[in-house]
Amino acid sequence: MALIADPDEELVRRVGQGDPAAIQAMVARKLPRMLALAQRMLGDAAEAEDVAQEAMLRAWKQAPLWTPGQARFDTWLHRVGLNLCYDRLRRRRETPTATPPDQPDPGPAPDRGLLAAEVGARVDAALARLPVRQREAIVLCHYQALTNIEAAALMTVSVDALESLLSRGRRALRQALADIRPGAEGA
Amino acid sequence: MTSERFLALVAAYGADARRWPEGERAAALALAAARPDTAAVALAEAAAADALLQASRAAQPSAALRDRVIASASAAGLSAQRHGRRWLDRLAVTVGAGWAAAACAGVVAGVMMTSWLAADAQAEAVLYEASLLGVDDTEVLG
Repeated sequence: MALIADPDEELVRRVGQGDPAAIQAMVARKLPRMLALAQRMLGDAAEAEDVAQEAMLRAWKQAPLWTPGQARFDTWLHRVGLNLCYDRLRRRRETPTATPPDQPDPGPAPDRGLLAAEVGARVDAALARLPVRQREAIVLCHYQALTNIEAAALMTVSVDALESLLSRGRRALRQALADIRPGAEGA
Repeated sequence: MTSERFLALVAAYGADARRWPEGERAAALALAAARPDTAAVALAEAAAADALLQASRAAQPSAALRDRVIASASAAGLSAQRHGRRWLDRLAVTVGAGWAAAACAGVVAGVMMTSWLAADAQAEAVLYEASLLGVDDTEVLG
């Protein structure tokens, strides 16, 4: 089996040795990615922090055991983060009172252009209302910038199925936000 | 690449060619150049969706979260703290050695000072005695 090139390999090795500078560097490199992943998957800031913290804790435990060349550390960490997100999403379904915070679409501002932050909030709300697999596909490919092969593997679907999820998700977002003209933010 | 595949590619990955699968990128760009009318509509629609997606801003980790995550490294058995402690230990050894060296230097200086003082005192005593003797001699010699 061909070895997989991993840009994080050296850093993971140093983390596994307990190098404080490497630990700091790993936090700077991965914590924002885990937080963004969880926030967009869960749509809840507090839960996203918990997931990101737990994912990083698992990274610390894994680093000394990591075998380079078999997988990319970033892909492994995404799998951990996604599993944690799915645990929480499952819990929400099983506990009706613990439903995710509702993110109503505020709709277009009546008499003024939308500020960039308002457009961002509406996009986040629209993302949160997408079917979870469509949301996951968009989050992994667009926001986390994973390759289609990595994203498909993480979602355990074919690349064709991933592309279908992406297309449907993007189309649904466009429809949900049809009143926002491109470049309308900041007007 | 067929037009259908190009449209599917753009619908899935957006208008930015950097997001297209690497293996199909060149062919897709070639098709876009060869059939600009077909490509333009799809690319414009995809670019509008891209712009919306880009409006979502990722949350940045707070300092408190960063601190908790860094602290959790030692809890997970990584020797972040131990590593830090090793540096502290080294620092302590260095400082200790410094103090010991300073103490030795003080002892040596004290001994030398004592020797010098003793020599001075002895010299003065000799001179004093000599002067006394001198006085005595003067007195004796008259």
